[in-house]
Amino acid sequence: MPASSAPRVNSLALLILPSALLFALFFFLPIGLMAVMSVLTGNPVVMPNVGFTTRHYARMGNDSYYLEVIWTTIRIGLWTTLAALVIGYPLAHWMARIRSRTGHALLLMAVLAPMLTGIVVRTFAWMTLLSDKGVINQILTSFGLITRPLQLMYNETGIIIGLVHIYVPFMVLTLTGVIGRIDERLEQAAENLGASPWRAFIEVTLPLSLPGILAGSLLVFALAISAYVTPILLGGFQIMTLPILIYQQISANFNVGFAAALGMVLLTISLSLVIAYNHVLGLVSGQRGLQ
Amino acid sequence: MTASSRRFPLSRRRLLTAAASLGAGVIAAPYVARAEEPVLNVTGWGGKWGDVMKAEIGPAFETEFKCKLKTDTALPFLPKLQASSRSAPVYDVLHTNSNEQWAAVEMGLVEPKVDPKLVPNIADVYPYAVSDKIVGVCIFTSAIGLGMRTDKGYGNVTSWKDYWDAKFNGARGGYVIPANSLGQAFVMMCGTLYGKGQTDLDAAYAALEKLKPIKLVDFTGAMEKLILSGEAGIGILHDSGIYRYDGQNQPVDFVTPSEGVLSLEQVLSITPGSKVKELGNAYINYMLRPDVQKRLAETVWYSPANKKVKLDAKYDAKLLTTPEKVSKLIQVDWKWYNAQKDEIDSRVNRIFRA
Repeated sequence: MPASSAPRVNSLALLILPSALLFALFFFLPIGLMAVMSVLTGNPVVMPNVGFTTRHYARMGNDSYYLEVIWTTIRIGLWTTLAALVIGYPLAHWMARIRSRTGHALLLMAVLAPMLTGIVVRTFAWMTLLSDKGVINQILTSFGLITRPLQLMYNETGIIIGLVHIYVPFMVLTLTGVIGRIDERLEQAAENLGASPWRAFIEVTLPLSLPGILAGSLLVFALAISAYVTPILLGGFQIMTLPILIYQQISANFNVGFAAALGMVLLTISLSLVIAYNHVLGLVSGQRGLQ
Repeated sequence: MTASSRRFPLSRRRLLTAAASLGAGVIAAPYVARAEEPVLNVTGWGGKWGDVMKAEIGPAFETEFKCKLKTDTALPFLPKLQASSRSAPVYDVLHTNSNEQWAAVEMGLVEPKVDPKLVPNIADVYPYAVSDKIVGVCIFTSAIGLGMRTDKGYGNVTSWKDYWDAKFNGARGGYVIPANSLGQAFVMMCGTLYGKGQTDLDAAYAALEKLKPIKLVDFTGAMEKLILSGEAGIGILHDSGIYRYDGQNQPVDFVTPSEGVLSLEQVLSITPGSKVKELGNAYINYMLRPDVQKRLAETVWYSPANKKVKLDAKYDAKLLTTPEKVSKLIQVDWKWYNAQKDEIDSRVNRIFRA
């Protein structure tokens, strides 16, 4: 048999090696360790006689509090995604279709500007606006519009406001690329055939931009449900989300096993929602490949 | 050319190599010398405590004991110790509050007591500093009471029960109980105030329920800011958190409730796997020295555990420096609390959720 018939490894495939190694070391290995820790009675590296247990998962199942925390986390993630999409889509559409280079550059700078500041700083800035003694309440009080401060933070609304501000740029930048690649002549053709601009948008542009909506929403949702700083500060420790609970279990209860189990639940829920979201949007957009 | 120059010809390359080696040697010499010094890994606080430790107390210890003192100020300490090997722990001396010390001793991460023979200054501490409520030895304590604004016209506050007064609704500051020692000690105080004692959790939960609306923070520093900014008019705080603003014209004051003040202990303990236990004991002994205690107490307004310390009048008037004052301290049974912590955390998280 000639030697040339043997399968040859494309040398370009070696380029994927660094990223594969990176994923293996910093993604699959930590998640694998977390999965193992979640079913162990202790840390086998430093403790003798460690066994398997399901008690961490049973604890979650037996106490409805943890289910409420999971639902709160998902709810905040969904509202943040929806608000970021509603605010981000028109802006992305504008950026994608603006003729002026200067205008595009200014819009891009406006979208990117908040990302030049750290999350902690931005969250503290929101606190100075939303707190009881903050700018908004002080102005409303000085105009005599309110007698008692409005409850603008220490609740889910405050957290969602902060998260939306942080994550809208991710939505806009993802959508802009997708909308920019949609051929404008398709919309013009729809209008030539009698569709109003609104109908042309609904029936042409919007369906074609669904991959961008999908990608942006998944990105924002994943970031929102794993956020820690903003929920802690704007929720005033009165809104418990899974990342806060996980940190609390590690830093204050020293219960790494339960924290790992909570982490696995967060991961499972995220993956389930991502798969379901992919499936639904794949069906809606007719892109079977997404399913 | 002489015979010696033929044997060792001085070329430009050889000269440069020799000069580079000499330079590298000069630069590395202090590090090589220091590498032979033993290193003591400890934990400690940041802020003013960290500043004075870094500038004065730490270097003086290093000079006297010919060692390197490495202090970790990045919380949380216990998970790091928990993750490190028992035979080569990340810390030699653990400095935390009592609640974490009890958790550490339960996990076998620190030794339960410090040997007085190895730490002679223990002979001079108040009894509370080595009581059965303490792991290791307490080097300082603060009094947990009520911090409050004096410019809001709240009137006279004398009792813990005043904290529940409806006039403080919306202006009351409290802690994230699962994460804060003061918050946890306060749960026990609630049991004492409204129930049969520290361990009456049902009475404590009922009392906590009545504190809403309340603003929660995780650390005492955040509580200080909450009160200083006027976001809260009253909050649970240690005396140090108010006294440190002495002379800064802030409208805040510390209230010592008539029922007594809770003890917030600064505790040192030694890790069983430490390779420099002798140095660890020397460090604890050094931290209990009257001169070190005085300097730190007058910097951060902590009450010294060593009864031989003589503070300046300004500090002596406010801090717990006599047996009579110290007798007002209420120590918490952290061993019992930690055994119930999961249940308490779950319950208080529910109580205080928005």
